[in-house]
Amino acid sequence: MANEKNILQSLNRAIVEGRPEEAPRLAEEALAAGNQPLEIIEKACVPAIEEVGRLWEAGDYFLPELIAGAEAMKSAMNVLQQALKSSGQSLKSCGRVVIGTVEGDIHDIGKNLVASMLRASGFEVIDLGADVKAEKFVETAAREKADIIAMSALLTTTMLNQKKVIALLQEKGLRENFKIMVGGAPVTEKFAREIGADGYGQSAVQAVAVARSLLAGGGGGR
Amino acid sequence: MIDIRSLAEKKIFLLDGAMGTELFRTGLPPGHCPEAWNLEQPEKVAAIHRSYFEAGSKAVLTNSFGGNAVKLTKYELQEKTYELNFQAAKIARSVCPPGCYVGGSIGPTGKFLQPAGELTEDRLYEAFRPQAEGLAAGGVDFFLIETQYDLREALAALKAVRDVSPLPVWVTMTFNLTKRGYFTIMGVSPEVFVRAMEENAVEALGTNCTLSPADMIELIKQMRRLTSKPLIAQPNAGQPRLGEDGSTYYDQGPEEFARPLAELIEAGAMIVGGCCGTLPAHIEKMAEIVGSYSDKIG
Repeated sequence: MANEKNILQSLNRAIVEGRPEEAPRLAEEALAAGNQPLEIIEKACVPAIEEVGRLWEAGDYFLPELIAGAEAMKSAMNVLQQALKSSGQSLKSCGRVVIGTVEGDIHDIGKNLVASMLRASGFEVIDLGADVKAEKFVETAAREKADIIAMSALLTTTMLNQKKVIALLQEKGLRENFKIMVGGAPVTEKFAREIGADGYGQSAVQAVAVARSLLAGGGGGR
Repeated sequence: MIDIRSLAEKKIFLLDGAMGTELFRTGLPPGHCPEAWNLEQPEKVAAIHRSYFEAGSKAVLTNSFGGNAVKLTKYELQEKTYELNFQAAKIARSVCPPGCYVGGSIGPTGKFLQPAGELTEDRLYEAFRPQAEGLAAGGVDFFLIETQYDLREALAALKAVRDVSPLPVWVTMTFNLTKRGYFTIMGVSPEVFVRAMEENAVEALGTNCTLSPADMIELIKQMRRLTSKPLIAQPNAGQPRLGEDGSTYYDQGPEEFARPLAELIEAGAMIVGGCCGTLPAHIEKMAEIVGSYSDKIG
């Protein structure tokens, strides 16, 4: 068996370099070498997905690399979470996010990407898909006791539906129960402020930082 | 047919502005398939084309941006791909004045190719082919494969068009300005894009969407250094904002939008128009500038 450090490093590289077919095997090997699941997550996986985010921010990575990295992270985490479960432990969630593309909008590339980056970064994500009615966002968030509602829109006409969800929350007296994040190609930080959202991310990587900051009590603007 | 050579020599060619923005203003409900209006509300689509011709557009683009079979599947209209595109071309043709042109718009599918997504190149080709057939049969003068971000998808659309029609094909990709320069979201650089378009002998190429006119100048300069083909520039009217009446609008009015146009043309853009948020009023302002330009070089 290769030494412990090498295995963790290989797993780390498999995620950074986006090899989802290799990552689960390396996670298994790391477990077989006697590493605790939590240790593997903290030492290999989390730094890896953070590195993917850094490479994206630096302009070295583009969507294909980001998607591959998130996929590799997911496939490794499946193995490690299973191992955690069998040992009676569980991973502390970073927070619970209800996400979807707003009503009237079928575009889901950005939303999917944000969902997978949030998952890869330790958030619990409830993905409502595309063309999601305001009522559904609100009902689901209330039922699931979500921390964050995240909304995507690609069209200037549908981005107004992000505001509709916020209005509905206010109407039901639920606005203070959730942090609201918005994004999507036409959405800007200014627009996010104008509609009364708490946070805006320009990319899926920024969305993770914004979600963390919002739940840590900070602002969410970038 | 457009004489692309004379175009490249001295004429600045004015395209139209946004179709989607206008459709929504005319009452297209959010969530409704825009291309379905080619059958349901042809007179409203025709009125938009007419307003652009009146504003000074030399060519308009058909209402078929999302008219590929992959995207139409989301509205369960994939069986009507040919028909919706045929009608799109017919409508634009019916209001096209003599000496003006109709371009067949082909946008992206909104899905990713493997391994990032599920799509294969064969599936893409099959999605674009009936669209190209419909547009050709409906009477377009040229094709504009636009707003592309993945080179492989752009090439699949190009192949589909070439296989069904001898008409000129123009291709635009959408670039973001990153810390390392201009790239599409999939990481395609202007160099890679231009080289592929040269290899595939498209009649014109360029960029649209996302960037404002001022942000497009440097990108056009870069492309100009890489190719002698006619370059297309269709910027957005700035960024969307929330209006006091609760609707959205783009923050660059016609004046502000058209101001950098001269510099964009100096940089090498030959075929200019507007993307998101541009209205006939924007095109009218551009027409004034293009007019004075043609006088100067014509």
